[in-house]
Amino acid sequence: MRNTLYLLFSLLVILSLALSACGQIQGLLPGGSVTVSIVYGSEKKEWLEPLVAQFNAAGNKTAEGKLIVIEATPMGSIESVRGILEGALQPTVWSPASSVYIPVANAEWRKLHGEDLVTGNPNDLVLSPVVIAMWQPMAQALGWPDKAIGWADIAALATSEEGWSAYGHPEWGEFKFGHTHPAYSNSGIVSIIAEAYAGAGKQRGLTEADLDDPKVRDLMAAVEKSIIHYGTSTGFFAERMFERGPSYLSAAVLYENLVVAQETKRLNGQSSQIPVVAIYPKEGTFWTNNPYVVVNAPWVTAEQREAAGIFEAFLLDRPQQLKALEYGFRPADPSIPLTAPLDSQHGIDITQPKTILEIPSAAVIDKIQTLWRETKKPVDLVVVMDISGSMRGDKITTARASLLEFVKKLDDRDRLQIILFSSKISTLTPLTPLGPKRQQVLNSVAGIFEQGDTKLYDATLAAYQDLAANGNPDHIRAIVILSDGADTASNQTLDEVMSQINAAAGEGGNAIKIFTIAFGSDADENVLKQIAEPTGGKQYKSSPENIQKIYDEIATFF
Amino acid sequence: MYTPRINWIFLILFGLAAIGVFVAALLLPPFRAVAYAPLRELIIPPPAPIVVTVLYSTEKQAWLEEVVPAFEASGANVNGHPVKIQMEKMGSWEIINAVLDGSRQPVIISPASMLQIAALQDSSTIQFGRSLVIPADAINCRPVLRTPLVLVAWKERADALWGQQPGASLWPNIHDALVNPKGWAAFNQPDWGYVKFGHTDPLKSNSGFMTILLMTYGYHGKTSGLTAADILNDSDYQKWFLEIEASIGQFEHSTGPLMQKMITYGPSVYDFVAVYESTAIEQAENAVGRYGELRVYYPPATLWSDHPFCVLNADWVTLDHRKAAILFLDYLVSKPVQEIALLKYGYRPVDTSIPLEQPGSPFDRYAANGFRADLSFLPEAQVPPGSALNTLRDFWARNVNR
Repeated sequence: MRNTLYLLFSLLVILSLALSACGQIQGLLPGGSVTVSIVYGSEKKEWLEPLVAQFNAAGNKTAEGKLIVIEATPMGSIESVRGILEGALQPTVWSPASSVYIPVANAEWRKLHGEDLVTGNPNDLVLSPVVIAMWQPMAQALGWPDKAIGWADIAALATSEEGWSAYGHPEWGEFKFGHTHPAYSNSGIVSIIAEAYAGAGKQRGLTEADLDDPKVRDLMAAVEKSIIHYGTSTGFFAERMFERGPSYLSAAVLYENLVVAQETKRLNGQSSQIPVVAIYPKEGTFWTNNPYVVVNAPWVTAEQREAAGIFEAFLLDRPQQLKALEYGFRPADPSIPLTAPLDSQHGIDITQPKTILEIPSAAVIDKIQTLWRETKKPVDLVVVMDISGSMRGDKITTARASLLEFVKKLDDRDRLQIILFSSKISTLTPLTPLGPKRQQVLNSVAGIFEQGDTKLYDATLAAYQDLAANGNPDHIRAIVILSDGADTASNQTLDEVMSQINAAAGEGGNAIKIFTIAFGSDADENVLKQIAEPTGGKQYKSSPENIQKIYDEIATFF
Repeated sequence: MYTPRINWIFLILFGLAAIGVFVAALLLPPFRAVAYAPLRELIIPPPAPIVVTVLYSTEKQAWLEEVVPAFEASGANVNGHPVKIQMEKMGSWEIINAVLDGSRQPVIISPASMLQIAALQDSSTIQFGRSLVIPADAINCRPVLRTPLVLVAWKERADALWGQQPGASLWPNIHDALVNPKGWAAFNQPDWGYVKFGHTDPLKSNSGFMTILLMTYGYHGKTSGLTAADILNDSDYQKWFLEIEASIGQFEHSTGPLMQKMITYGPSVYDFVAVYESTAIEQAENAVGRYGELRVYYPPATLWSDHPFCVLNADWVTLDHRKAAILFLDYLVSKPVQEIALLKYGYRPVDTSIPLEQPGSPFDRYAANGFRADLSFLPEAQVPPGSALNTLRDFWARNVNR
C-alpha cells in the first residue's frame, strides 16, 4: 500500500515539474522541417560539402522550431542558371562561382517574370581570382615572374606556328590551352569575355559595336585554335590538367584556389607533377566571389528564406571561413589574414591581381557567346553505336532519342560521322560538315534498329582509323562509343586495337579522344575504360534512365 | 486493514504537495526561467517596463549592442518602471522612409547624420504640417558620436593620383582620372587598368549620400550655400556628375561591406573609396599583409556623420517615453560609454574632455596610416536645406539608380 502511494506521489511530482517546464518541452517536440536546396559552382565542393553535413548534423532550427535541412548540389554555374531559367531547377539558393553572369540571369528572368532573379547585393562566400594556371617552367619561358603576362601573350603563343620553339623549347611541342565550355561553366564564360576585351584593346566599356571589330574575332579564333577541348566544370578541368601533366595541357583558365590545392598536394607528395603557377593576366581578370543568392522566385517560401539566411550566417562565420583558407580560397571575412597556403610556395601571389575587367552588359555577353560559337574550334566527331540484338526495347529507343538530342547540340561547322555496329560495321554518315546534312542525319538516326552480334573492337578500330585519316588535326577530334555488351564477333583483339590507339597518345592533349559509354549492366566496363582513358577521354556508366545526361556531359567537351 | 477514509486524506495531502511543488517550480529562479510563461505571469506579474523603441543606422550596431544591456541592467527607471530599449537597425534613409510611411512608430530615431534629420524635417512638414523632429531642441535631439567622411586609398595608388594629400581640386581631379580612357596609363601605371572609385548607394546609405553631396560642392567650388538650382539648372554639372557615377561598377548598400570589399579585393577592384573614418579604423588592422599600405586621406572639405539621437515629436511618444529616452541619451553621452566608442570602435566622442590621442586609442595606434586626431584644419561643408538634399536624392534616383 505504502509503495503504491510513494509511486503515486512521485508521479505527481514529475507531472507537475513537467507541466511547469512545458515551455521548454515545446521546443523538443518535432515541429516539422524546412528544406533549403542549393545549387552551387563545383569549384567550392571540397569546402562546402563537409560544411553542409556538419550543419545538418547540428540540428539547426528556424525561429518557429523547424529543423533546417540543407540539400546542396554542385553544378556548372552557367548550367545551373540555365536550369533555373528553363524551370528545370527550383532551388532556394543559387551560388554560382561569380557575379559575372548575374546581369544575364536578371535580364532573362525579367523577360519571364517582370523582375530580377537576383535582388539586393548578395554576400560573397569566398573569393578567388580567375588565373591562367601554367606549368612553372613554361611560365618562366614566357618571362614569369618578372614580366607581366596577359591574354594577348596567350593569343600570340597560340597563333605562333612554332609553338614553344619560339621560346627556346621545341621539346614542349605545340602550345596546348584549355578553358571550360562557356555555356556551362563560369571560367568558360569569363575566358571568352577576357578574349573579347583583349581583342578590343579595352578593359571596360565593351560594347556590341566593339565585337564587330575583326580584331576581336581574330584574337578569339587564335586563342580558341589552341584549345585541346572544353569541359563542363572548372574543378574537373583542373583535375585533368594536374593528372595528365604538361604534355596534355600547357595552361588552362582556372581559379587561384585550384592552383593552391594542386601545389598543396604536390608539396605533400600526393602529386608527382612539376610545379604549377598562377598567372594573373596583366590586362585584368575577374574574381570568383561565390555570391550566395536566395533567388527571387515564387517557389521560395518565407521560412526557406529564413533558413537559408541561417545557413549563410554559418558559412560566413569565422571557423568556416578559416576552413576556406585551407582549400586555397581567400576568405570573404577580412579579419582572417591571408596566410599559408596562400603564398608563393603554392604558386600564387596574394598581392595580385592588379586590376579587373568590367563585367559587360547582358547584351554584350550574349553577343560574345555568339561570336565564340562562330570562332570556336570545330569538332571532328565519330559516333560509334552498338545496335546488336541485346539493345532491343528500352535501350535502343533511349539511345536513339538521346543521340538525336546530342546531334542537335553540335554546330553546323562540326563534322560528324556515325558508325553502327552489330555483326557488321556500317557507316550511317561519313565525316562531313553537319550543317548541310543535319536533317538527313536526324532522319537516319531516327530509323536505327537493333540486330545481330557485337563487333566492338573492329568498330572501334575502324572509327579510329577513319578519324586519323580524315580528321583535321586543327579540330578537336573525338570518338564516342556506346556499347551494351562484351565483344562477341571481332576479328581484331583488344590488344591490337589498343596498340594503335596508344601509339598516337604521344600527341598529348591534341590526340584523338575516345569517350565510351557502358550502356546497361551487361556492358564490359573494364574494356571500355581501357579504350577511353589513355586517350584523355572518359568512360561513363549509363542506363536508359540517364543516357541523355551522359551525352549532354560529353557535349561539353566540344 | 482497509481504511478508505485515510486513503482520501493521503490523496488530498499528496495533491496539495504536488501543487506546492508546481508553484515552487514557478517561483524559484532556476525554474522560473524555464516555466510556462502565461502561468508564471498569472501568479506574479512583473513590473510593466517602459519600452523605448529605437530605429538606428547599422554602423553603430556593435557599439550599441555592447552598451545597451549595461544600461538596462543599471536599474534605470521612470517612477519605478524599468526602462527597456528595443532596437531595430536600418539604413539611414530607410529610417526616414519608415517613419514617413508610418510603417514604424519609434520613440527615438538615430540615422548616421543630421542630413537625414534635416531631410525629415522638410518632408514631414510638407506631409503632416508639422515636423517630426526638432533639431534645435538640444535635449531631445543630440549628436552622440562623430566621425568625418574620408577617402581610403591604397597608398601606392594615391601617391600616383594626388601625392601626399589631395589638394583643393580633389573632386575635379578624381572625375578626370575616372573618365580618362587611358586609365592608370595616364599616370604611367599601365598595369593598374582603369581608375576605380567606390561609394555606397546614396538612397540607402548615408556615406554614399555624403559623398555625392561633397562631389556636388566640389564641382561648384564652394562649401556652403548649395541650392536645388545648383543641381537642377546646371547641365554641365549634371554631365560631370553622371560621368563619375557611370564609372562606378556597383553601389554597396552600406558602408561596412564597401570597406570590407576594399580590403578583400584590394586595388584590383577599388583604388579608393569614400567611407567614414570610424569604418576605416575598424578595418585598419585587417588591411595589413594584403595589398600594400592602406591610408586614409581627408578631402578638402568634409561632412560629419554625427549620429544624432532624436526623440520624435509625435503623438505616439508619451511623456514617460520621453523621460525614459532622455535617461538613455544621457547614458550614451556619459564618459565611460563614449570612451568605449573611441577605443573600440574608432568614433570621436561628443564629450570633448576625452583625449583622442590617449594610449590605446586608434588615433594613436594608426597615426602612421594617415589618421589625424586634430582636424581643426579641415573645413566642414554646410548641411544644405532639406529641399536641396531631397533634390539631390531625386536626381540620383532618376538618373543613376541601379
